[in-house]
Amino acid sequence: MNRLTRIAYLAVVYLFFYFPIGVLIVYSFNNASYSLLWHGFTLNWYKELLSDTDLQSVAWHSLSVGILAATIATMLGTLTAVSLYRYRFKGKKLLHGMIFVMIVSPDIVMAISLLILFSTLKAPLGFWTLLLSHVTFCMPFVAVTVYSRIAGLDKNIFEAAKDLGASDFTILLRVIIPLLWPAILAGWLLSFTLSLDDVIISFFVTGPDFDILPLKIFSMVKLGVKPEINALCSVMFALTLLIVLIAQLVLRKKQ
Amino acid sequence: MKHDKTFKFITIGIIWLWLAIFAVAPNGLVFLTSLLQQGDNELVRLQLTLNSYFDLFNTSYLKIFLHSLGLAGCCTLVCIIVGYPFAFIIARSTSRYKGFLLFLVIIPFWTSSLIRSYAIVAMLKTKGILNSLLLSLGLIDQPLHLLYSSTAVMIGLVYSLLPFMILPLYANIEKLDMRLIDAARDLGANKRTVLLKIILPLTWPGIIAGSMLVFLPAMSMFYIPDLLGGAKSVLLGNLIQNQFLTARNWPMGSAVSVMLTLLMGLMLMLYWHSTKRNKDAQDLL
Amino acid sequence: MIVKKPLKNFILAIGWVISCCSPLYAAEQVINIFNWSGYMPDDVLMQFQAETGIKVNYSTYDNNETLYAKLKASPQVGYDIIVPSTYFIDRMRHQNMLQPIDKSKLSNFKNLNPELLNKSFDPENRYSVPFLWSATAITLNTKYWPKGSVKGWNDFWQSQYKDQLLLVDDTREVFSMALISLGYSPNDTDPNHIKQAFEKLKQLMPNIKVFNAEGEKSIYIDEDVTLGMGWSGDIYLAQQENPALEYIFPKEGFIIALDSMAIPFNAKHVENAYKFINFILRADIAKKISMQTGYATANLAGVKLMPKEIRENPIIYPDESILARGHFQSDAGASSTIYEKYFQLLKIGG
Repeated sequence: MNRLTRIAYLAVVYLFFYFPIGVLIVYSFNNASYSLLWHGFTLNWYKELLSDTDLQSVAWHSLSVGILAATIATMLGTLTAVSLYRYRFKGKKLLHGMIFVMIVSPDIVMAISLLILFSTLKAPLGFWTLLLSHVTFCMPFVAVTVYSRIAGLDKNIFEAAKDLGASDFTILLRVIIPLLWPAILAGWLLSFTLSLDDVIISFFVTGPDFDILPLKIFSMVKLGVKPEINALCSVMFALTLLIVLIAQLVLRKKQ
Repeated sequence: MKHDKTFKFITIGIIWLWLAIFAVAPNGLVFLTSLLQQGDNELVRLQLTLNSYFDLFNTSYLKIFLHSLGLAGCCTLVCIIVGYPFAFIIARSTSRYKGFLLFLVIIPFWTSSLIRSYAIVAMLKTKGILNSLLLSLGLIDQPLHLLYSSTAVMIGLVYSLLPFMILPLYANIEKLDMRLIDAARDLGANKRTVLLKIILPLTWPGIIAGSMLVFLPAMSMFYIPDLLGGAKSVLLGNLIQNQFLTARNWPMGSAVSVMLTLLMGLMLMLYWHSTKRNKDAQDLL
Repeated sequence: MIVKKPLKNFILAIGWVISCCSPLYAAEQVINIFNWSGYMPDDVLMQFQAETGIKVNYSTYDNNETLYAKLKASPQVGYDIIVPSTYFIDRMRHQNMLQPIDKSKLSNFKNLNPELLNKSFDPENRYSVPFLWSATAITLNTKYWPKGSVKGWNDFWQSQYKDQLLLVDDTREVFSMALISLGYSPNDTDPNHIKQAFEKLKQLMPNIKVFNAEGEKSIYIDEDVTLGMGWSGDIYLAQQENPALEYIFPKEGFIIALDSMAIPFNAKHVENAYKFINFILRADIAKKISMQTGYATANLAGVKLMPKEIRENPIIYPDESILARGHFQSDAGASSTIYEKYFQLLKIGG
């Protein structure tokens, strides 16, 4: 392939990626509720979003579950990665395999398995079941992200710390976490977006008093294409973009 | 040190406890449920039976299973065909914009596929952007009825999952040792041979990893056929969702889920096999 | 201490987030409503919230089976108001899933249309309060097909409609259509008749483009589908946007669905539920709901407040001669699972 065809090929695929999203964002500023013709610029649909209190409480639900789930998942995932790296224990290989299987296992399988679990335990579906589920599906991603960094660390650092009399807990807090900080943050951000975007698992495990943004968007989208949804989706897209940017900056700084 | 032992014990204990409750136990329950019977008033009747599995091999379910496999398989194939050259060009590029080009793939990788599916709905509608564009360009004189068809589902799936193919392929191709290709060329291999005998086998694990990340979610994302699909484009995800949330046949839904898990196991074995073989090959070199 | 200051702040922040969002700490003045999608204008909910100070958690479903499955899957799930159709009220009251309604708490009960009360699905309305009713009939886009070219359900099977039809995503509605077209009762419980209907629907598959419930309004407006089944309210609203749509009451007969409010057995905010039902029963609110959703209200006092062109609109309030062809739905009892099984089989391609 010569240079030109290569560039053209890339351009076509990028167009495929970005054209639909771009159109969505452009139309979220269109001053018409149904027409696809351009009727002038407006911020009306965004104003409508701002005044929709129901949507705001739902967005708040999503954010709080996202933050909490990402935080707990990051703690668990980091612990898992550190244990896998530092300790020898029974079933280590099994744990390794399980983390991998959990990442590739289809969401719907995890969703119904958690639904059956909660239904067996007679746990009312809502905030807690949602949080536990989100932590569970985010955790392996953090473990893998952190593990890939930790594998590059010099093992001698731990030996040195140990020789100086530091306990494992101190080593974790004072040596490992500061060294792995970028990877941990990247894992947190990944978990946060995963939690914020998840439809399949949340669909099965949340209850009536705890609706979240992706499910709200799903039920709105099923009703048809509307400018408010364009605006909402644009906001969500911008938010994810911001997170990716932060993650990239953090990771680059590390390198 | 005694403290360290307790610390180790507690850490590993927490991890195993969490996984046991939220990963092992639920999957065990799914398997158990698949062996029970559907109840009329209660959810399941506590009576062991293989009925759900027998029903699964009833022609209609088998048909949907195969259809679903076919659709997800086609989607994976399209992703490979589109994604492989794409990943190759970026990975082999020496341009200073390489990082930025990769970043442009990562954005869709991180964004919600629900939102992106919605964008596809807006594109494909009879009165949507694609039709308006084609009509105004004079390429068609009747709007295309694209939405609510298997084609629409395919477009939606490829759109959502293509980054999941590109990224593992990129990682794999970037590691590829160019000297091998040069060596093959020097020994007189033509382009075709280089591609088939050197490049493809060495990037095989990337292809399998990408396929796994595309194929399994493709079966699972029930909302894409829900939004884009018609009466004839049901995927396993929709089947499971309907069995659980509409038909109230949990044993059947669980059985389908068990089949999906088995399929995943099969792909994992393929993956491990391919990486192992690859490692052996590289060790030989 | 080993815990660094930023970490400490972080933990504090998390504690704050937990205390803010955990429903355990949330105010008790809430009501959880689970209703059909497209059955409630936002401003009615806002008005209720403003007048009573009760926060409304509103979610929607698009068929009775989903509602029923959700209540069965986790009975503790705290819905306070649900709106099942006639036959599901019947089934749920027999399974003790509903609370008896204390009508002394509903001062506006008298507003209801007596003709819709005390029906066999719930004698004396012990468990249900009628809300909205609708017809399921044929929607035709006259831009694509000549006006009046479809007269009844049997026309759906013509080969010219290949890949054109929308069927509502609802087990009993679809089977009722097929049973009526075969000349059986839409409430048939004979497994053989249901099987025949299934066989007939299988032949219809090449013509069916999509099964959809929630999106039918915009699908018809945007002409993604040109013919099919439609619920009266949705099609009335769709017609305002796309005048090419024609609504036809099929000659063989059709379904009239009556959806009623009920309080599930496990409701946690029963007092609020009564307040809500009584609010909905107000004539002005009933009028507002009916005008904005396009569905006919069971509230006679509300109907009287409406402008004449709505009260006499042939889609929302068809006249007696048409209504005579309508059937109410009743519970299929043990045959419900048969219906469900065949519908799932149909949806995966027969």
